[in-house]
Amino acid sequence: MDLESFVLEVSRLRDEAESAFREVRSAATLEEARVSFVGAKSGRLKAIQKLLGGVSSSDRPEAGRAFNELKQAVAALLEEAQDRLAAAAASPEAAAIDVTLPGRPVRLGRLHPITRTIREVQGIMARLGFECVDGPEVEDQWHNFEALAIPAEHPARDPLDNFYLNVAQGCDPLLLRSQTSTVQIRVMEAREPPLRIVSLGRVYRPDTADATHYPMFHQVEGLLVEKGTTMAHLKSVLRLFASSFLGGDVHVRFRPSFFPFTEPSVEVDMEWGGRWVEMGGAGMVDPAVLEAVGYDPDKVSGFAFGLGVERIAARRYGVADIRDFYRNDVRFLEQFG
Amino acid sequence: MIVSTDWLAEYVSVSAPVDELVERLALSGLNHESTSSVGDDTAIEIEVTSNRPDCLGHIGVARELSVLFGRPLLVPAPRPLETGGQAAQSVSVEITDRSMCPFYSARILRGVRVGKSPSWLVNRLATVGIASVNNIVDITNYVMLECGQPLHAFDLASVRGGRIIVRPAQAGEAFEAINHRRYELDPRMCVIADAERPIALAGVMGGADSEISDTTVDVLLESGQFAPLAVRTAARSLVLASGSSFRFERTPDPAAVAWASLRAATLIMDLAGGRLEHGVATAGELACHDTTVALAVDRVSEVLGVAIPWERQQATLTALGFTEQTDGADDEISLWRVPSWRRDVTREIDLVEEVGRIIGYDIIPEDATIAARPVADTRRQEVTRQAAEVLLAAGCCEAMTRSVVDEVLDGFGSPWTSEAAFTISPPLVRGADRLRRSLLPSLLEARGHNLAAAAPHGDLFEIARGYLPAAELPSEPQFLSAVVTGEFAAAKGLVEAVFARLGIDPSGLTGPPPRVSYRPASHPLLAVGRTADVILSLAGTPSVRAGVIGEVAPNLVSHFNLGAAVSAFELRLDLIEPVKVSDRSVTRPSEFPPVERDLNLIVDEEVAWASLASAIEEASRGLLEHLSLTQVWRDEARIGPGRKSLVVSLSLRSSEATLSGDEVKQVIDAILESCTQRCGAALRG
Repeated sequence: MDLESFVLEVSRLRDEAESAFREVRSAATLEEARVSFVGAKSGRLKAIQKLLGGVSSSDRPEAGRAFNELKQAVAALLEEAQDRLAAAAASPEAAAIDVTLPGRPVRLGRLHPITRTIREVQGIMARLGFECVDGPEVEDQWHNFEALAIPAEHPARDPLDNFYLNVAQGCDPLLLRSQTSTVQIRVMEAREPPLRIVSLGRVYRPDTADATHYPMFHQVEGLLVEKGTTMAHLKSVLRLFASSFLGGDVHVRFRPSFFPFTEPSVEVDMEWGGRWVEMGGAGMVDPAVLEAVGYDPDKVSGFAFGLGVERIAARRYGVADIRDFYRNDVRFLEQFG
Repeated sequence: MIVSTDWLAEYVSVSAPVDELVERLALSGLNHESTSSVGDDTAIEIEVTSNRPDCLGHIGVARELSVLFGRPLLVPAPRPLETGGQAAQSVSVEITDRSMCPFYSARILRGVRVGKSPSWLVNRLATVGIASVNNIVDITNYVMLECGQPLHAFDLASVRGGRIIVRPAQAGEAFEAINHRRYELDPRMCVIADAERPIALAGVMGGADSEISDTTVDVLLESGQFAPLAVRTAARSLVLASGSSFRFERTPDPAAVAWASLRAATLIMDLAGGRLEHGVATAGELACHDTTVALAVDRVSEVLGVAIPWERQQATLTALGFTEQTDGADDEISLWRVPSWRRDVTREIDLVEEVGRIIGYDIIPEDATIAARPVADTRRQEVTRQAAEVLLAAGCCEAMTRSVVDEVLDGFGSPWTSEAAFTISPPLVRGADRLRRSLLPSLLEARGHNLAAAAPHGDLFEIARGYLPAAELPSEPQFLSAVVTGEFAAAKGLVEAVFARLGIDPSGLTGPPPRVSYRPASHPLLAVGRTADVILSLAGTPSVRAGVIGEVAPNLVSHFNLGAAVSAFELRLDLIEPVKVSDRSVTRPSEFPPVERDLNLIVDEEVAWASLASAIEEASRGLLEHLSLTQVWRDEARIGPGRKSLVVSLSLRSSEATLSGDEVKQVIDAILESCTQRCGAALRG
């Protein structure tokens, strides 16, 4: 190869290297250019070096100089491209992240919807001056029946309608309480009026489990015993409760009913979603109950009301089958914010 | 109770549309269930509470309407013509146990023609859902649905010996009812027998071989009073409820006993012919209740919280059938005689309810005020909430499992008692008849369901009662229990966090009591060698076992298909509640820098971390701010067999000054000496 051709090759390669390295915008294209020009095995610099052997010995010093210049120039181009990339990478724009990627997950535990509802009811009642009380779930006949004006032979005491235990207290068989009113009796026995309490917890009745019944459920019961208490107080407290619980100014409606331990007894409807919805039972504490706990019905009067927690929770959260409350499926529980 | 509007119109004429009618009834005590058309008639299903047997007949419901709409009530007065012999000579009646049957009457009709009922009768019965049988049986049903008093008609020819004996059933006595099924009776039930055998189960159902048939000529018409308990016992234990038993369980109007008998006799003669014998054969005495109740004139206002004019109260009670007595009345108190059909009214408060429900509770104001009163959360509420917060923050979901478990779950045992669980009857759900002694089996079962359903996780906690055998009422400890992924330390970490949240130092190392410590233990449900008791030590009282922590025993892991390591704890919140520290006064954080040291201590394998930690803590002169174990290693060649090396990091800090090199050296020397003396520890170079 003559000198002129060799120099021409060198010059062409230099032009190509210049444009290739100038166009480098990423680490990948830089690597591509590097391998293409200065790769140890098949780089084009290597190829042109091989041509040097074909130049006549007289022209070789001149050709060698041209090649060295080329080699330095390519090295400089490579370095410049690397610097340029490094500078670009250091800029805040280049360090920007994909903000649409999800964060590192924090697993939240969830309170059971029944507990949430109970706490909400407790909170509203506490603001109305009702303190929370607690009592046993395994009860005796006196507290579950007699003191609540449910005498022996009353159908409500039938063995098929209650969960009686295999043990008795004396000759009195114990049972799982069928209402939280038992706690009210215990509190009234131990304390004097005035009294404002709310008792809540699990109660048990032999219903076949279906979408709206479960043999174990939760009740919240309020009791107020003060001098001069009337049904107007009952209605007003329930209206305050309904307005707090449902939001807005909610009216309540009484429908006459029958419970052994209240007289008069009523079913309580609240306006919910544009219609009357039955929320629970209520009434004035029956004078016989006041007497049973040693109060004088001529001096004090009171009211009581009870709400089924599952029923209001099911309605509030759109739970079509209350058995779901007891399946404890995390996929269900995690839906409660 | 289903009523027919066509039938009601017999006794009261109300022009209001059905919707208004049912609304008024609902707002005065007869809840509306449904309305449906049957032919030209309308059937209204209403819910009658157990205190109102008077509304288990059309006349009773018509009376409510007459009061609500101010219309007159027209009740027929049956006066059948009596001809022929004396009923008391045709049949003798005797009652052996008046507690089961206070009164029994039999009327005799001879020469009746049993046949089809006229269409008006068939239709009215059809509206209320009763199929026509024959004219005689239909009439007994009709009159029951009219006045609420059940009747029964026997074929007189099959009453052997001309005798009716009302007596308790004999043990094991056999009886075939008109449904042609055989029942075995017991002495809690009452039967109507003839001279030889039972011919009816009193108040529940007649017998197959004494029923009215096409060949019946003479009829014995029964109208009596049967005690609710005997009727209910028979109906429930034989699963044989009837319209009759439903009413006798609620005690019908005593005045209706005679009325119904006369009414049915009249209708039978009208529709089936025949002659009625004179009088009735009876036994016993009609159980009546002649009650007069005093009502203070301002009582209604005192209870309802709204004034109602006295004249309006009087008019309401009078319309309902109460009669005002002049004797013994004064200006403040008025006396009211209760009508026979309202046995439920015995007290002043009952009259108040009558006035209130008829006038309507809508008049009660809803803006009465109650005085403000301060209320604080109870300790149980506080502890429950704070403990739950910890578990929620750790990503556990709150579960609610059944208080009553089956034999399998109960059979896994309890860390709290080895005595057998209490059982209940009937079971809560199929097979579940044991009051649980631990929440853990239920939670593990729930965890298993979650894993099987590929739910996001199965880390669950529950706060609920357990039921442990005790002397009087069973004790009901309040448990906080949890099951979580991971080995022992996972559960223990949660327990420590719960104690910390309740203001109780979980490490048991610093500060005054209450203190918590952990002892190796062995319990059902938890893995051997990987279980601890949580001991709560209090000042001046014996320490108590307040919880258990452990890895779940392999048999439960495999039973519930739990796969990987799962650990659990169960705490007695009831024991922790009283100990909870609400408001401890705080210590100001020190302004001075800490000094940190690592010590590599070699001890015998048996030395527990807790004893080494307390040896360090007690020698640290109150300067120990933090202590942790950073590494454990064993190397027989270098430190000998049965020995382990514990690398301990400690941080010393004074609240008063920067610690000098000398002070630090003195404390470290004291710590090392304490470790050597109490735990046989050697410092490794």
